[in-house]
Amino acid sequence: MRDPAASHVCLSIEGLTKRFGGFYALNQLNMDVQQGHIHALIGPNGAGKTTFFNLLTGVLPADTGKIVFDGQIVDDARPSRRTLKGIARTFQNIRLFPHLTVMETVMIGEHCRAHPSVWKALGDAVLKRPFQESVAEREMQTNAIELLEYLGLAGKRDEKASDLPYGEQRKLELARALATKPRLLLLDEPAAGMNPRETSELDRIITRVRDRGITIILVEHDMKLVMGISDNVTVLNFGTKIAEGSPRQIQDDPVVIEAYLGEDVQL
Amino acid sequence: MFDGLLDGYTRSLLIFAGIHMIAAYSFYLPYKTGQVSLGQAGFMAIGAYASAILTQKFGIPFAAALIVGGIAAGIIGIAIGFPALRIKGIYLLLLTLGFSEIVSVVALSWEYVGGAQGFRQISFNPFTLEYVIVIIAVLLFFFARLERSSLGRAMDSIHQDETAAEVMGIDVVRIKLLAFGLGAGIAGLAGALYAHHATFMDSTTFNIMLSVEILVFVVVGGGSTYWGPAFGAVVLNAIPEFLRALREWLELIPVAWTNFYPVNRVYDFLHGFLDFENAKRLIAYGVILILMMIFRPDGLLTRDSLRRLRLPRWKSRHA
Repeated sequence: MRDPAASHVCLSIEGLTKRFGGFYALNQLNMDVQQGHIHALIGPNGAGKTTFFNLLTGVLPADTGKIVFDGQIVDDARPSRRTLKGIARTFQNIRLFPHLTVMETVMIGEHCRAHPSVWKALGDAVLKRPFQESVAEREMQTNAIELLEYLGLAGKRDEKASDLPYGEQRKLELARALATKPRLLLLDEPAAGMNPRETSELDRIITRVRDRGITIILVEHDMKLVMGISDNVTVLNFGTKIAEGSPRQIQDDPVVIEAYLGEDVQL
Repeated sequence: MFDGLLDGYTRSLLIFAGIHMIAAYSFYLPYKTGQVSLGQAGFMAIGAYASAILTQKFGIPFAAALIVGGIAAGIIGIAIGFPALRIKGIYLLLLTLGFSEIVSVVALSWEYVGGAQGFRQISFNPFTLEYVIVIIAVLLFFFARLERSSLGRAMDSIHQDETAAEVMGIDVVRIKLLAFGLGAGIAGLAGALYAHHATFMDSTTFNIMLSVEILVFVVVGGGSTYWGPAFGAVVLNAIPEFLRALREWLELIPVAWTNFYPVNRVYDFLHGFLDFENAKRLIAYGVILILMMIFRPDGLLTRDSLRRLRLPRWKSRHA
């Protein structure tokens, strides 16, 4: 069931499996994500969505299976290498650096592009005139401000990340991920804990990011958001894919409705 | 350079405080990436023995031996840094502690460096204070730059959330190794300076208590800013001297004023208390650590207190 227009496939997953003891968190998952799409990944709690993100970013090693990103097999052991290749993510349980400011947080995301070599980073840190920032540093600041303005956080750039309200912390996570200049962005429940106004703003932001040409995989429980902006939806249950298609097809799929039965979710 | 200004005692005091300060920075650098080492005395020993072998057995000038001592400690540091990458917290403490013990056992059993007799008659370096001052100046410059650089920020992020930093593309492995290796190298410099000032050392010179002291300097001074280690080393080296001075003032009180009950008891107690030998210093460190953990867990100097003091910590252009 490979897509015929394979040249437009951004990410291709083949037989991806992850076991925890005897429990299959993810079982023989096959999935293609089209370039420039917003591809939603939904399913009840424990369906394997976050595990999937952890395998994609290398936080956890996969047991078997192949990840092909932009035509290249991704097998780097370390997450930072995959980030350099263009895969970025946000976390379901927000993981910001509590003592860094908003601005510094975004600049952490920029670090891997500005200083891919540790030795050059050391040189940039030390071999400069005293009491002056390096050219690279100033460029990073300019880019960070641009990104913060894009997400409406520019006014808070000198606040501590941990002092932001919840919704803005989520936005900051998004800013930090975007700062790594990804081609594939994995969003893990970005709307969790957001009020309706913030969610509709997030809706616009995600669409704008997609329009920049960044492919997005969206894990989300807010079905209004998912069905509104996704180009494609994959439904997982107990680590297995049970349905895939356009939002419309998914909403009418009896298998999906059954998987969600008993859960308070309006499809 | 300071011959006319300083008597021998003060000079020696400044040298030891300076060596402690350098050692405190050797702890601070890996700590900046979240690695807590109890083996810094071991790295000092490597630098001390390597440099002393070079000057004593091969007649190499001290300046060259100092550099080689630092590099040797740095290389061993990177070797220790690899297993240190995989473990955290208490296990890393045990690993570095074990390393330090191994160094000490090797020093004890290796006859070439004196074995149980100790390494004797190391050539005395008359310019230790000058070396110490130059190295501290270089370290302060280095850390001031690091603090406001992308690499320094990356180190902070690793300290705060290693996984998140790695996923954001920070090369956690290399940066942690770099910090551990450079930290070990700095410790090696401190050790080499010590060896050529004291002119004698044995397997107990660089012991676990020294590693603990180094940790205490940073914890007391403050581990979240580069001024902390220097401040901690200065304060903790000054306290015994301060108490010694108090004791001397106490002795100025005429005997007739104190030589009756119960004042004589109080006087004797104070007199004994201020007699600040080594064992008491270690007890005092323990007490200070406990008090610090209760009242100022981030150390005396923190980023916030520096901001209030307006010490050099230049701001971003866009502020």
